[in-house]
Amino acid sequence: MSSKQTPKISSGALVCGDNKMHGDITFGTNSIVHPSCTISAESGPIIFGDTCIIEEQAKIIHRVPFYRTDKNPVMFIGSNNVFEIDCTVEAAKIGNNNIFEPKCFVGNKVTITDGCVIGAGCVLTDEQVLPKNTIVHGSGCKQREALDQPNPQFGLMDTLMRLLPNYHHIRKPIKKP
Amino acid sequence: MAYIVEPDVVRYACMCGLLKPISRLYFCRHCLHLRCGFCVCHEVDSLFCGKCLENLPSTEAKLKKNKCSNCLECPSCHQQLSSKAATVAPKNPEDPKATPKKVIYLCCLNCRWTTRDVGIPDQEVGKSGWPEHENVHTNRLNAIMNHYKKLVLKEKQQQMDKDKKQRKYTTSLAERTGVTASILRKRLGMTELKNPLLEADDLKPAVASKEIVDSIEHLLTTPIKLNDITTIDQRLKLPDWQPTAVDKLYPVHKQLSVKRSLRCRSCEHNVSKPEYSPNSIKFKIQLFAYYHIPEIRIVTVEPLRIGKQCELLIKLINPTQHQTTITILPLEHLDAIQQEDTKVIEDPPETKEPLSFQLLQSSLTSHPRQINAKVGTDVSIPTSSIILPARDDAAEYDDTGETQNFQDDPKLVVFRKSNKAVIKLLVAPMENLELGEEVIAGFTMQHVYTSTIATTTENKEPQKFDHKMKIYLTLGTLVGSQ
Repeated sequence: MSSKQTPKISSGALVCGDNKMHGDITFGTNSIVHPSCTISAESGPIIFGDTCIIEEQAKIIHRVPFYRTDKNPVMFIGSNNVFEIDCTVEAAKIGNNNIFEPKCFVGNKVTITDGCVIGAGCVLTDEQVLPKNTIVHGSGCKQREALDQPNPQFGLMDTLMRLLPNYHHIRKPIKKP
Repeated sequence: MAYIVEPDVVRYACMCGLLKPISRLYFCRHCLHLRCGFCVCHEVDSLFCGKCLENLPSTEAKLKKNKCSNCLECPSCHQQLSSKAATVAPKNPEDPKATPKKVIYLCCLNCRWTTRDVGIPDQEVGKSGWPEHENVHTNRLNAIMNHYKKLVLKEKQQQMDKDKKQRKYTTSLAERTGVTASILRKRLGMTELKNPLLEADDLKPAVASKEIVDSIEHLLTTPIKLNDITTIDQRLKLPDWQPTAVDKLYPVHKQLSVKRSLRCRSCEHNVSKPEYSPNSIKFKIQLFAYYHIPEIRIVTVEPLRIGKQCELLIKLINPTQHQTTITILPLEHLDAIQQEDTKVIEDPPETKEPLSFQLLQSSLTSHPRQINAKVGTDVSIPTSSIILPARDDAAEYDDTGETQNFQDDPKLVVFRKSNKAVIKLLVAPMENLELGEEVIAGFTMQHVYTSTIATTTENKEPQKFDHKMKIYLTLGTLVGSQ
């Protein structure tokens, strides 16, 4: 897999230029990618859903554990996910409406369903499936279940869509045939 | 700063015999003693809420059970709750005039717990105060409390009656003639006044029931969902209800914080007194040892080997505005002096001291405990002393190497800059140490303390004292023998 592949950007997505991207990456519509984040598709392609926000310094790495032998694994990330500043996410399956707060770490054995919030600084490494609407918080990584999913941040997205192109280089989306 | 003074590498012996780093010590400049947090009197100065910074008098705080009436805490993770605004659609959407209503609910920014999670209704904007969660057993608890108050009063009454009987002679006219207030009232035909607290109450004692109220069958049949069960912390945060399920959690009022002042035990002078206002982080009096006692830092130690003289470089820093002279003395030096002192103190009777002081002394005088540190090396005691100039904040930024004319022993003083000096000591670990054991060196440091208390008109010169204290240095582990 050549690392010089250009990411596939759907129309309506906003991907800043100054970030590190390796491998086969696909962004859904209305996604926003800030500058200086790292997205690395080492073991296989990464596919982002719609309206994801990836903030500065976020690291999304597709690194399958060594004992998995599935051929050509794909990292699926659902829609409405927010990757906040300096989070590291290696989970191969991520549902919708999740929030990864700053400095959190999610290992590659973790599966994340829908509506989860990984709190700031929380570390999840063991093999586990986070049930729906789980909130991980605090220094002890305590878990609790929320009543409903976090609301998508439409106001923030509108502002970013307007402001980011004024100050950054933007990667061009692929023109649909 | 904490990374320099916080590790317990250089420890000073407090007057009570505990070893503490300099950042944890106070220095009473009236009786010239080091004091630690365990040997000062703690006093509550003011109570305040840490969130809204409201200052409460102690009686009011007691009435409110030491809790802030405005600020609420998350019952799930004990962080402060913040209010969040939301808009709610009008009740009847067909009505064109109805506008969306603005409401407020509480939300924890840490664990995202909201008042909506447990079904607390949202508040309208402008209304203040959240509904209090009433305890079901309030009436019963009040009844029990009243009952105990009555018991206390009864016991007091009985004690007083007993005292009266014991008294042989009476002096008051009323008692001699037998005309007391209650008898007078009877004669006048008035009903007897009764203390409401002395009346017999109809408190029924609690009855133990044979039946178990909650059936535990479901615990055995259904799998437990840990996310639905509260933790011990969460239960203890709500002592009135102690909910077992997360949907019974309710916001808690924030506990008040305390500003306290510290007082030296022997001379009753304050060693630390914060400013009264909760907004201020300043102190009126702060006699921290860090500002009065020369600080010692370890620069380097040679690998420690038994029977070998190892170089130990320590840095001495003078934090005061006065020049000081530091002398290193053997550890036993102070013990000898203290023994003499105690002999002297035992003889003279205490006079002129305030009563409270005497009371305090009788309860608080205690011999310092044995210092709990096994000294494992001999320290070569230098013969000359070191003069340290006063602290000058401007000199910190002055790189033009100023020359100080101190007649130093070049074998002792290695380096010198403004109010700091690095000296070289030789340590020799003792024979009885084992490999890998921690080596502790100890010595007595004597420094000249210039009193900053305003002196009387007779002697305008600031008074100078020789102050001595024991220092224990943890040098690291023994790596081998020679």
